Amino acid sequence: MSECIVITSGKGGVGKTTTSANLAVALARTGHSVVCVDADIGLRNLDVILGLENRIVYDIVNVIEGECRLKQALIKDKRTKGLALLPAAQTRDKNAVTPDDMKRLVEDLKQEFDYVLIDCPAGIEQGFRNSVAGADRALIVTTPEVSAIRDADRIIGLVEAHELPEPELILNRYRPGMVSRGDMMSREDILEILAIPLIGIVPDHEDIITSANRGYPVAFDDESVVGAAFRRIARRVTGEAVPIPELHDETGFWSTFKKWMGIKSVQEMA
Amino acid sequence: MKNLILRMLGQPTSKSSSDAKQRLKVLLVHDEIDLPPAKMEQMKVEILEVVARYVDVKEDQVTFKLNKSEGEVALVSSVPVRRVHARA
Repeated sequence: MSECIVITSGKGGVGKTTTSANLAVALARTGHSVVCVDADIGLRNLDVILGLENRIVYDIVNVIEGECRLKQALIKDKRTKGLALLPAAQTRDKNAVTPDDMKRLVEDLKQEFDYVLIDCPAGIEQGFRNSVAGADRALIVTTPEVSAIRDADRIIGLVEAHELPEPELILNRYRPGMVSRGDMMSREDILEILAIPLIGIVPDHEDIITSANRGYPVAFDDESVVGAAFRRIARRVTGEAVPIPELHDETGFWSTFKKWMGIKSVQEMA
Repeated sequence: MKNLILRMLGQPTSKSSSDAKQRLKVLLVHDEIDLPPAKMEQMKVEILEVVARYVDVKEDQVTFKLNKSEGEVALVSSVPVRRVHARA
């Protein structure tokens, strides 16, 4: 049984594309076949995060307009088995695609792949409607900020209005040290407000930036704590019961000392 | 440097997260019910008119706000009373 999952947030810049890329990599690494669809037509970026930008020949609009076959537009990731990208068009806009087009496309992709991940553009207009059209399930990405959570709340309502099941939350850019100092809303605070199930927490970490620099998603990196967070989320997506760990308290002499010295420590979410 | 010394002295840090949570709650409720502040004020005045027929209200201490918790919106009001009218 194939499943189409849309990754959305309302607000831009909260990490939808990074999350889509890393979940796709992590799901592929669990042995599933995965295609990642960039639905952000006109502002294509998923290809860059995945490091596949030099291999694009055709894009999603070419497929929908019948200028190429679906297989010709799919870019196979050579770093892991079963991972492919369907890139967005860069020179068109969101109106080049309709929700019905997306439904048909997703149905075709579900014949070939276990998971179809849709990287939704920011906003609540055409790009959002296209992205949710073929989806069976939605993951909402948010960060612990007032503006991001406000938009997440709005998007949760819209997802439910599209008759999708209750969406699940990915809490991104979490900083346990700031939470324990009382300067960042905690996971409990955020879940109380949004009242949807949590599927994972991704710590704020430099690895995200270095991996984006290289076009090498951090979910490939077995040493990275952020990579591990994405891999755990992927296992939860497949239905495996993987507990969401509590964060280490940033107390004790050494961590306080390191903070004074300006050494940043992101707590392993053990 | 001043910050470093303050930290070493263990000065308490701000608790901005509770500000964030409080602002967010108010924001979401108003986003959801789409009740502009002027209408809210009008409702408050009308409710207090009714309450004042029965009890003597400390009007300067009345609070009136919408809260959202666990997905439910509630109108939460505190109306301190000076005394009950004799023939309520």
